[in-house]
Amino acid sequence: MVDLVWLESVLAGAVQAGTVYLIASLGEVYAERSGVLNLGLEGMMILGAAVSFIFANAFGHGLALLATLLIGLLFGLLLAFLSVTLRLNQIVVGLALTLLGLGLSGFITSAEIRKRILLSLNPEINQQALLTQQAPNLPIIKIPYLSDIPLVGKILFSQNILVYTALILAFVMWFVLFKTRFGLSLRSVGENPAMADAMGVNVYLMRYVAVMIGGMLGALAGAYLFIGYQPFWVEGMTSGRGFISLALVILAMWSPLRAILGAFLFGGVEVLQFRLQLIGVGAQTPQFILMLPYAVTIITLTLLSVESMKKRIGVPAALTIPYSRE
Amino acid sequence: MKRNRNAVRRLSRREFLGISTGAAAGGIVAAAVVGGIAGYFTGQTTAKPTTVTKTTTVAGAAQTVTQTVTQTVQAPGAKPIKAGYVYVGPVGDFGWTYAHDQSRQYADRIYAQASSTYIESVPEAEGAAAIQTLVEKEDVDLVITTSFGYMDATAEMAEKYPDKYFVHISGYRSGAAGNAPENMSAAFAEFYQLYYLNGLAAGAVTKTGVVGYVAAHPIPEVVRHINAFVLGANYAYRKRTGKNIKAYVSWLFSWFDPGKTRTATISLVEEKNADVVAFTEDSPTTLQVAEEYTTQKGKQVWSFSHYGDMTQYGPNSHLTGQIVNWGPIYLDFYRMVATDTWRSVDIWTRIGDYIPYKWRLPVEKSTAGKPEGTVYLAPLHSAIPSEWQLEIKRRYEEMKELIFEPFSPEGNLGEPIRDQEGEVMIDYDQIVVSKKTGEVREGGRADHDALWLMDWFVEYIESELPKA
Repeated sequence: MVDLVWLESVLAGAVQAGTVYLIASLGEVYAERSGVLNLGLEGMMILGAAVSFIFANAFGHGLALLATLLIGLLFGLLLAFLSVTLRLNQIVVGLALTLLGLGLSGFITSAEIRKRILLSLNPEINQQALLTQQAPNLPIIKIPYLSDIPLVGKILFSQNILVYTALILAFVMWFVLFKTRFGLSLRSVGENPAMADAMGVNVYLMRYVAVMIGGMLGALAGAYLFIGYQPFWVEGMTSGRGFISLALVILAMWSPLRAILGAFLFGGVEVLQFRLQLIGVGAQTPQFILMLPYAVTIITLTLLSVESMKKRIGVPAALTIPYSRE
Repeated sequence: MKRNRNAVRRLSRREFLGISTGAAAGGIVAAAVVGGIAGYFTGQTTAKPTTVTKTTTVAGAAQTVTQTVTQTVQAPGAKPIKAGYVYVGPVGDFGWTYAHDQSRQYADRIYAQASSTYIESVPEAEGAAAIQTLVEKEDVDLVITTSFGYMDATAEMAEKYPDKYFVHISGYRSGAAGNAPENMSAAFAEFYQLYYLNGLAAGAVTKTGVVGYVAAHPIPEVVRHINAFVLGANYAYRKRTGKNIKAYVSWLFSWFDPGKTRTATISLVEEKNADVVAFTEDSPTTLQVAEEYTTQKGKQVWSFSHYGDMTQYGPNSHLTGQIVNWGPIYLDFYRMVATDTWRSVDIWTRIGDYIPYKWRLPVEKSTAGKPEGTVYLAPLHSAIPSEWQLEIKRRYEEMKELIFEPFSPEGNLGEPIRDQEGEVMIDYDQIVVSKKTGEVREGGRADHDALWLMDWFVEYIESELPKA
């Protein structure tokens, strides 16, 4: 049963399914490192998927990705304004933004409204694009030479552009976070904003930047889910993937590199649960495997609520605490 | 410099205001958005009157009794009515709720004096509140609830508003069945015959002899559809090759999730080499993935339409499929309310119901693949060999008169239908109604109860059935 072709197809599937979590959690790592918990991630993700759906049909992939980043930026800005400037409770604000994102995405994609938006964006659009609920997939780009390597070639080097972007971003974001002055400032405002402020770091600005990066990547994760993974639009199609990404950030202990492992692990569970069903493993309890990602989510969130565990895991000390200069 | 901001603190007044302002702001924005959607789409449609003649099949709880009643829609003395629908999903889901909404529009178009309104995405626990809103705020005469989970709420509200009428879709409580007030009816459009025909098409084209099924939840309705599909596939494949079909099932435990459906479909194709994959999920994802294999990965994989015609999502992989139009059923209830001729019924419709002529047509004139009645077959792909196209049409026509029943030895090449343990479930002289109760009845074909309680897999399925 376990041969090379099988392994290749399972692992490639894990990477494809896991990239959604990776992109979203990378942004969330930055937001949380700066001290802002973005519970609106699910809403940003679904909104990103909806926007990429509309723009991909109106203009194609390039502008769809740009529009997605823009909507994520705006949503991040809104979250930053509410939680950093107005210092509202981050959990309440985040949940409100999730609900807003779910409602708004359903609204702009409902048949009539979508038609109007598409026509106002691109009056020359064809009839088919007005009605369809799908969009063209992002093309697979095989990297010359590297894609011929057995196993690894299929898994890592025969994917679409967003998978490569996510992997490169993880390394770049890790480097920036831990090896640059900007990264140090970012981490310091999440650990001890008063101290950072005294050292001359603009706490508000750092938090705004981090949250907006989080918003952009959250929305991009939604765009990946739609045009990069399964391009069929249904309301609520993210089905909790934003919340799973939040748990993943904790599992990765706020490190972009560990997020890669975590994301592909979650992706792997998603793929394996169906493979195992077919092989006959856990045929009577497939729900058990299906709930694993959620169980991991709950366990990590529970651990996080225990004060002594918080320190050991390394939670940014000022997470969810609004800063006000006194 | 030691200021521990992490210590547990009491909620200050300022923070409390912060929290409540945040909640209020979020709530207002969310409400505005939701209100906007609801307001925009609470449309009403009316059109020219049309006279339609049709047939009703009424089924009792214990035994299938077919009764034919023909009536016209525009009865003299009909008064204007307003109907209110409660939907479980968004109208744009392209699956279950989409089909109901299309049917609502169909009914409104045909019935001149009817108008309607709906509430979408209503969680099942909030069914009662939605019904109350429709009755008290929208002043509807007839409430139609379209998810199994609304059943008890519908019965409760029927009790509360005795001068209004209620129809519940896909449940078993109604005045006719004796477990709900007289102003409540039950209705369902049943697909299993069409799944059998899909199976015939699958068995006719499969090269690997393996078919797959992406299934939502292990409930009798889905189990019956899987069994019907596999019986049909085995019928055609064994006639072609002399070998039994192999079938595998992948459970989603979700009514819709394109991401998971994608993975499940890929698993069936790659793990088990299935080249025809049927599904019960509210999106065309399985068909899209099949199309990906067919056009990009050099492997012909087939799939189907579900609820609506999905050909556009996989033109090279769309074999046929099952399509529903609830409209004629709704019209029937509109008519009953408008003419004060209400009587509680428990309806389930199959091929041949609600069409002008219930008798079968010659194969060459068959209407298989064309819209008619409440459930019908999607267009047949030309890749299905012509002799099997004829066979599918012949069975379709025979089922209009219920001459042919998939769950009978005749549907299984004359052999008794066995479950996975090899026990005979349906034979010429008797049937097992449910494996759990072990009840045995006389008769050579599955009856209503046997279909509705189906808790076993046919022997050709390799996957286990999760116990509920």
